[in-house]
Amino acid sequence: MTKATPFLLGLLCFGLLPLTGQDYLIGVSFTLLTWIALTQSWTLLSGFAGYISLGHVVFFGLGGYFVVLTWGILPYWISLPLACLVTFVFAIAISIPVLRVSGPYFVILTFGLAEFVKYVVMAVESHLGQFGRLLLGVPSLATLYWLALFLATLATLITFVIRRSRLGQGLIAIRENEQAAEAIGVPVTRYKTIAYGLSATIPGAIGGLIALRTSYFEPQQIFDPVVSFTVLTSAIIGGSDDVRGPILGAAFLTLLSELLWARAPQLYLILLGILLIVFVVILPNGICGLLRRRAAQA
Amino acid sequence: MLDRRSVVSALFLGFAGIFSILSGTVLAQEAPPIRIGFSIAKTGLFASATPAQLNAYHFWRDQVNEKGGLDIGGVKRKIEFVEYDDQSNAASAVKIYEKLITNDKVDLLLSPWGTVSHFAIVPVLERFGFPVIGSTASSVHVRELNVKNMWFVSPSTHDKLSIQLAQMAKEQKVSRAAVIGSVLPQSKEIRNFLVPALEAAGIKIAVNEEYPPDIKDMTALLSRIKAANPDGIFVLSYPADSFLYTRQAKEIGINTPFQWLAIGPTIPAYRKMFGSSVNGIISMGHWSPAQSHWPRAKPFYDAYVARFKEEPDYLDTVLAYMSCEILEEAVAEAGLDKAKLREVINNKTFDTINGPVKFKGVENMTTPVGFLQIQNEQFHIVWPAEISTAPIQPKLNW
Amino acid sequence: MTSFFEILTSGQLLLAALITGTIYATVGLGLNLVYGTMRLLNVAHGEFLMLGAYVAFWGFSLFNVSPFLSAVVAGVLTAALAAALYFGMLRWCLRNPRMRKRIEPNSLLIFVGVSIILQNISALSFTGTPRGYQYLSGVMTLGSISISANRLGAFVFCIAICIATLIFLRRSATGLAIKALIQHKEAAEIVGVNVTRLEFFALCAGFATAGIVGALVSMTEQTTPFMGFPFTIAAFIVIIMGGLGNLAGGIVTGLLLGFIETYGVAFTSAAWSSILLYGVFVLALIVRPEGIFTVRQVVR
Repeated sequence: MTKATPFLLGLLCFGLLPLTGQDYLIGVSFTLLTWIALTQSWTLLSGFAGYISLGHVVFFGLGGYFVVLTWGILPYWISLPLACLVTFVFAIAISIPVLRVSGPYFVILTFGLAEFVKYVVMAVESHLGQFGRLLLGVPSLATLYWLALFLATLATLITFVIRRSRLGQGLIAIRENEQAAEAIGVPVTRYKTIAYGLSATIPGAIGGLIALRTSYFEPQQIFDPVVSFTVLTSAIIGGSDDVRGPILGAAFLTLLSELLWARAPQLYLILLGILLIVFVVILPNGICGLLRRRAAQA
Repeated sequence: MLDRRSVVSALFLGFAGIFSILSGTVLAQEAPPIRIGFSIAKTGLFASATPAQLNAYHFWRDQVNEKGGLDIGGVKRKIEFVEYDDQSNAASAVKIYEKLITNDKVDLLLSPWGTVSHFAIVPVLERFGFPVIGSTASSVHVRELNVKNMWFVSPSTHDKLSIQLAQMAKEQKVSRAAVIGSVLPQSKEIRNFLVPALEAAGIKIAVNEEYPPDIKDMTALLSRIKAANPDGIFVLSYPADSFLYTRQAKEIGINTPFQWLAIGPTIPAYRKMFGSSVNGIISMGHWSPAQSHWPRAKPFYDAYVARFKEEPDYLDTVLAYMSCEILEEAVAEAGLDKAKLREVINNKTFDTINGPVKFKGVENMTTPVGFLQIQNEQFHIVWPAEISTAPIQPKLNW
Repeated sequence: MTSFFEILTSGQLLLAALITGTIYATVGLGLNLVYGTMRLLNVAHGEFLMLGAYVAFWGFSLFNVSPFLSAVVAGVLTAALAAALYFGMLRWCLRNPRMRKRIEPNSLLIFVGVSIILQNISALSFTGTPRGYQYLSGVMTLGSISISANRLGAFVFCIAICIATLIFLRRSATGLAIKALIQHKEAAEIVGVNVTRLEFFALCAGFATAGIVGALVSMTEQTTPFMGFPFTIAAFIVIIMGGLGNLAGGIVTGLLLGFIETYGVAFTSAAWSSILLYGVFVLALIVRPEGIFTVRQVVR
């Protein structure tokens, strides 16, 4: 139980935050929680199986788009879960061709796919005569916040459970050597597909939450490749072999972003780029890896 | 004993004492500055268009501060701006306005640039009940949404604009039209109203096409227009496209007597770049310093030119300045109470450099939709007749 | 609206397709050189192009230097940047056994970082406002085809680069050595090719091409810090569909891509150009990750 204590404490703190009424602080925490959820879900395929995705934003965007399209028709507590279903189905549907590709080609494929979907949505919106869409009467910040907390916790739990499951072990085997894994009987395709589908689910709802929070929707924003880049960098900085990694990575980036986004947004991204390079080259196991090494040495 | 240390300490204490008394009295006399926040596209896709608005804001702030400050229900307070760059990104504008309200806790807000940004921040304003006078924007959509915290100074709501434009075109004997425009919101909205309006006026639409917002080369599109041989061209453009269109239409030699560009020609750089070749281009606008009905117009023009050494943008600078004038008048009467401000803005008739302004709902009902034409490298109001300063002329060859 | 037949037979469109295709082919050429020799997936290729564009823009705006001359300067500068990257980081990565094992995915991530850094340093230094300038923009007409002189100049320049590169690779000793290196690194080493030196040369040459094309492109396209992405994508389509390391195949693919895009847009609308580009990209990766023109397997 001692290992779980920091998590439970953290959960308690996060849960109580909206009661302080500090709108701006709640907003920042909300952002942090969404990044945690996104990075945890990214880990399922990209961290465990090593199929690094640079296009995670596509699920986020599609979920957001779904919620926006059904705004006014469906209440949010129906459209958000449905968004999860939509993204899950989408991921499974494209998994057959997409997961055939591996290694670095997978990385750029996911990027290209996200951009492709972005431009299609832009064309659809343009055809419908819509540019940006306004969402009036969105749920309160506290409601959205608690939903985000729920999703972040859920995503963390899923990652935790999968890590210790057979699926997780199989995925890690795939990461080490896919052919060998197949040879020893790991159902490679099935595992990859499940991981891909699962990784797409929660981002769908997160996309919806963000759309509701901003109360303004524009395809370029919700499919912004910087989101994918941030998730990837977050995971690499935090280290993606452990549920703590995405949390640490997301926390680090959110802090950095808070200092810089309003006055020096480019500086923030430059730092992110530098950090990505540094961590890939020197600290491939992220902060978590560093902590584990320290613990092992102690 | 009077040693060095005690002398120094005594002097120090003495100075500290005098200083605090003085500053106390000084501070006690001056009311704290009033903080007005906004974001504007200082960089990015729209950056070339926004200086017009930013200049208007800074000009207004300095003018007001010279007179002692903004009159808030009787007390004068100096204006202090809290400005951010939203990088031509509406979603950033949303975040920034929320930050301005919840984190920077500003007293008042001014509007960003462009229809899309105005549109985007509406939910935030509604959520916090923070009234803002819009400037460089107009959209039929917001009229439908019935919002309580934004008003649009620009009369050029696209349905009214299109009807007037079609009428003007008809009077100019346009019979075959080419309509091209960006896929950005304002362009699309204009197109949705303009095409039916033109057809209703008996004008045949020969070309009706869209182009992406970051288009770099219009030659293919313009060749098609030239081949269709229209006598009226409507370019539903944003600033960058206006410049591109003008340059390439000139290159290809599109010599149509009636050419209307939505946004761009009113920017001073436009006439500077193209000189006399753009005489005859018509654009959106309803202001001229030559209009003697509006006593504030010419003094504003003169003071602006004296400070910036160039003319104001006849559309954006004017709209932005008008929004400031309205805010000034409203705050003088209602103070900073948001509910009272809303009431005053909804009911009062304001006096601006463009004449009287009164709102009905979110719209400015008093200023008419107008069109400006470049004649002899100067702008003249050529429509409607009530406020025109010169008759419309056909465009000669490039 | 113009008819199907009119589009097919339009000389104007044919020329536009040829020009776009040649530009894509040249950009892909640079990437192929880098990938073929060092297996580095340079997703920042478009950003080097962007830097070249800014060199030309500032060269013209501040010093009135012709973009054609700036292209040479841009090439030198981007090559220098490549050298800096090599000595600063890449060489260490290539020698480190852990990194070398996963050189492809690692290099990808590193270059993603480089890409973001370059984009934002440019945005910070030059602001994100689109830049353009007028150089040689007079329109020349031949029959029903009109083209601006600068586009024609860029076209000719790119053709020259492509032809020169092909000849260099076939005729000169260094060129042949590079070809050998691309085909089979170990074998080339055995026959005495100085792998390290040639890799470095190919790296700089590859990046330099991006810079040069960027300078040329700046005459007709708006220069922004984020203009590089579509060119990177096009370059990847070229090397993937044309066969990794297959320079001649890459040129043909580049032209093909230019045709697809130009005619695709003509049949649909300008808004579709990105959909087409990324659509082809995704398809290329899914359908033939080995490339259409690969005859022999490229041995790693």
